[in-house]
Amino acid sequence: MAKEIKMPQISEDAESGTIVEVMVSEGDTIEEEQSIIAVESDKASVEVPAEAGGKVKEIKVSEGDEINVGDVILILEAGENGEDDQAEDEEQEEKEDEQPEGKKKEKAEEEEEDDGDTEAKEKDPKEEVDKDEVEDEENEDADRKEKDKEAEGKNKKEANKKGEVPAAPSVRRMAREMNVDIYAVKGTGPGERITADDVKAAADGKSGDQKKSASEQSQESSLPDFSQWGEIERKKMSGIRKATAKSMGNAWRTVPHVTQFDKANISTLQDFMEQYEAKAAKAGAKLTVTAVLVKLSASALRAFPKFNASVDIENQEIIYKKYINIGVAVDTENGLLVPVIRDADRKSVTSIALELGEIAEKAREGKLSMDEMKGGNFTVSNLGGIGGTNFTPIVYHPQVAILGVSRNQIEPVYEDGEFKPKTMLPLSLSYDHRAIDGAEAARFLRWMCQVMEDPFVMLMEGGI
Amino acid sequence: MAEQKYDVIVIGGGPGGYAAAFMAADLGMQAALVDPEENPGGVCLYRGCIPSKALLHVVKLKQEALEASEFGLSFDEPDINVKKVREWKNSVVQKLVGGLGQLSKKRKVEHIRGVAKFTDANTLEVEHDGKSQEVSFEHAIIATGSEPASIPGLEFSKNIMSSASALDLPDVPDSLLVVGAGYIGLEIGSVYAGMGSKVSVVEMTDMLMPGADRDLVDVFAKRNKELFEEIMLETKVAEISGKRKLKVKLEGKHEGEYKFDKVLIAIGRKPRTKNLGLENTQVETDDKGFIKVNEQRQTAESNIYAIGDVSGEPMLAHKASHEGKIAAEAIAGGKVAYEPKAIPAVVYTDPEIAWCGITENEAKAQDIPIKVVKFPWAASGRAATLGRSDGLTKLIFDPDTERILGVGIAGKNAGDLIPEAVLAVEMAAVAKDFSLSIHPHPTLSETIMEAADVLYGQATHIYRPKRKKK
Repeated sequence: MAKEIKMPQISEDAESGTIVEVMVSEGDTIEEEQSIIAVESDKASVEVPAEAGGKVKEIKVSEGDEINVGDVILILEAGENGEDDQAEDEEQEEKEDEQPEGKKKEKAEEEEEDDGDTEAKEKDPKEEVDKDEVEDEENEDADRKEKDKEAEGKNKKEANKKGEVPAAPSVRRMAREMNVDIYAVKGTGPGERITADDVKAAADGKSGDQKKSASEQSQESSLPDFSQWGEIERKKMSGIRKATAKSMGNAWRTVPHVTQFDKANISTLQDFMEQYEAKAAKAGAKLTVTAVLVKLSASALRAFPKFNASVDIENQEIIYKKYINIGVAVDTENGLLVPVIRDADRKSVTSIALELGEIAEKAREGKLSMDEMKGGNFTVSNLGGIGGTNFTPIVYHPQVAILGVSRNQIEPVYEDGEFKPKTMLPLSLSYDHRAIDGAEAARFLRWMCQVMEDPFVMLMEGGI
Repeated sequence: MAEQKYDVIVIGGGPGGYAAAFMAADLGMQAALVDPEENPGGVCLYRGCIPSKALLHVVKLKQEALEASEFGLSFDEPDINVKKVREWKNSVVQKLVGGLGQLSKKRKVEHIRGVAKFTDANTLEVEHDGKSQEVSFEHAIIATGSEPASIPGLEFSKNIMSSASALDLPDVPDSLLVVGAGYIGLEIGSVYAGMGSKVSVVEMTDMLMPGADRDLVDVFAKRNKELFEEIMLETKVAEISGKRKLKVKLEGKHEGEYKFDKVLIAIGRKPRTKNLGLENTQVETDDKGFIKVNEQRQTAESNIYAIGDVSGEPMLAHKASHEGKIAAEAIAGGKVAYEPKAIPAVVYTDPEIAWCGITENEAKAQDIPIKVVKFPWAASGRAATLGRSDGLTKLIFDPDTERILGVGIAGKNAGDLIPEAVLAVEMAAVAKDFSLSIHPHPTLSETIMEAADVLYGQATHIYRPKRKKK
């Protein structure tokens, strides 16, 4: 029995992506963990590793395809291990497939109607396109249609399990008008009946995705026709753009943001870094303020565990993490990526600097794996290289805080009765006010500034 | 004449078509209705639902008059004046279609008389009395309905009738063969039998009213043992020949040659899309000839919609009206969809058979878990006062949630009882909702409430305690 390699979950909240490269060919023999396709998705173009090795019998996808978690990427020829299990599984699956198929008799008509729908949309006569384009589009449409059908099949299966949707006609109409998928709404009435309130609650975002689509739609529909004022051009968002839009939108809606500003006097630190630079370079690392800040943030998270946490609002709990992984925002041609430095608290500044160098290069080349971007607890975003006096970063939900760094500047600081030129580094800390209060954030940021100003004092006082 | 462009033009003036045109007008659009008849109405009013129900009422009255002697009320043998019955039936039709004509005018829906054909996706050619005119439109709704299907190779004639010609009631033949025991065959067969014809029924499958649940059909069969001369199941017509007296050759269980004065072919209906000029548009049909539509009833040609019989099963007037309104609302930009959970079906025989939502047959075929409870009318006080204890009410539930998925009723006035069930299914009511809603006493509607009570072993008028759980 052949083995199917399916699309794994590539990040916490990405269910789909666009295939930018197919890295194997039919007939190839691949090893377990070998990269088989590159997918552009949630903030990255990632390479998807094969979950098993073997000879590639058939590749089910091609470049440019939209792929969802669980979609079959390729089929391997029969292996030796676990074959029986696999066979059994598949048989079961087939059976499951068959049954609803039978049940679907009545739905056949509906399905046809759905087909009619897609076709009706495709064949909009108002769109005048030249012939070649039409043909291309049709091919694409055919592909898409096939996928739609698959997806439809899945939905149908679920719908069948659920049976008819238990909602009054007026409630179903209301859901349609509010762009709420009635099948995704959980009914709270007797016999799981979906009430008007259930639909409203779903539209208000208590059921995640529903609301987003509603708000996106309403945004969409409220856009004016810009072409009335001049020439415009419409472009599809890239996968990374879509993911950024989604996760930032989500963070903005979920997290009550407050941003705390402070400035660190880093004159001493700078002197030290200059002295140490050569030594770090010998180890192959480029000593940067970012590297220092990553290390420092790790120490700060230790000292302030509330910042190394996530909010579970549903269960009314705060999740404290006993490990310290720091994300670092990296600007690339394709967009913003956030690779993660793991266990930053246990690494030296030099090794962090080394890792940062590697990881940033990978990010720019689009070779970051999804794993390398997962599991961050706190993020550092340094825009100082570009400039600016301050900014208010958005917390990378479900993290609870993010550190923004702007360009340092020599400023007069009043010290010992006179103004002295000091290098000041502007820092901004955005935090989730559901988990963290203002005073705590002020202390957190002050702590970081003090450590940078005089690490020895903190060492003596047990802060580090 | 200045070129006029209608917002919405509806082709076909049946209950789907005029409902669509009226809705379009009510939504502020300029609407027109194209139909060969002088007034809206379509098959339903001219040659279907309405005339058949008028005639069924006549024969029901006759039957009840005969049975009244059991209650101590005797009449002379009823005498049927066919001509007068026909005139009365026609007057009913005229009254209704005339009313529709008035309503059209009040709503400023242009009634264009004639037969329409698409010349392209925005233009119709309408022909009437040899004259033709072009009409252009933004949106069209195809509501051309359906027509009786015939046996291949067999033409309808004076003696080989379709439902339409049978409902004209040209005369009452001595003997009539009804081909097809679906609701049309049984209703019209009942009319002719009630009028005095010797009616035989031939049906290909092994039951009357194929598709309906057997326990409901049994209620009909039990009362009507004497109504029909013969019911020949699992049999089909091979050949019909002869002119004055028809020779009918049957194949199957009741093979042989039989003679009848007339034959009614009631083997189903087919969508009417011929000569509509669909080939001049992008509109597509499926292999059964139905126009393919999406849930807004929009065809592959985005400004053309199709509703009613022509857009798919079930071919019922009330489904068409509902679709018509949906299509008009969709055209007006409403976010609407055709998504019924329960389309009621009513067979107007005596007893009537009515159901909605899921049937036991469907549940079985689709392997949907259900729980069925029944309340026999023998336990209904109202049924007894009517001398009609021969009914059955049954409810079909989801066993987990006790949600009502379907209801079937056979008995006097079942058709008037089913709407409560439709509302229950659409509203996703649970059994307790029936149980806890006070139903008026004494009415037949109590049978619905008590059927729900049966679920809990608490039906007042039936002693059937709930089985104890072990």
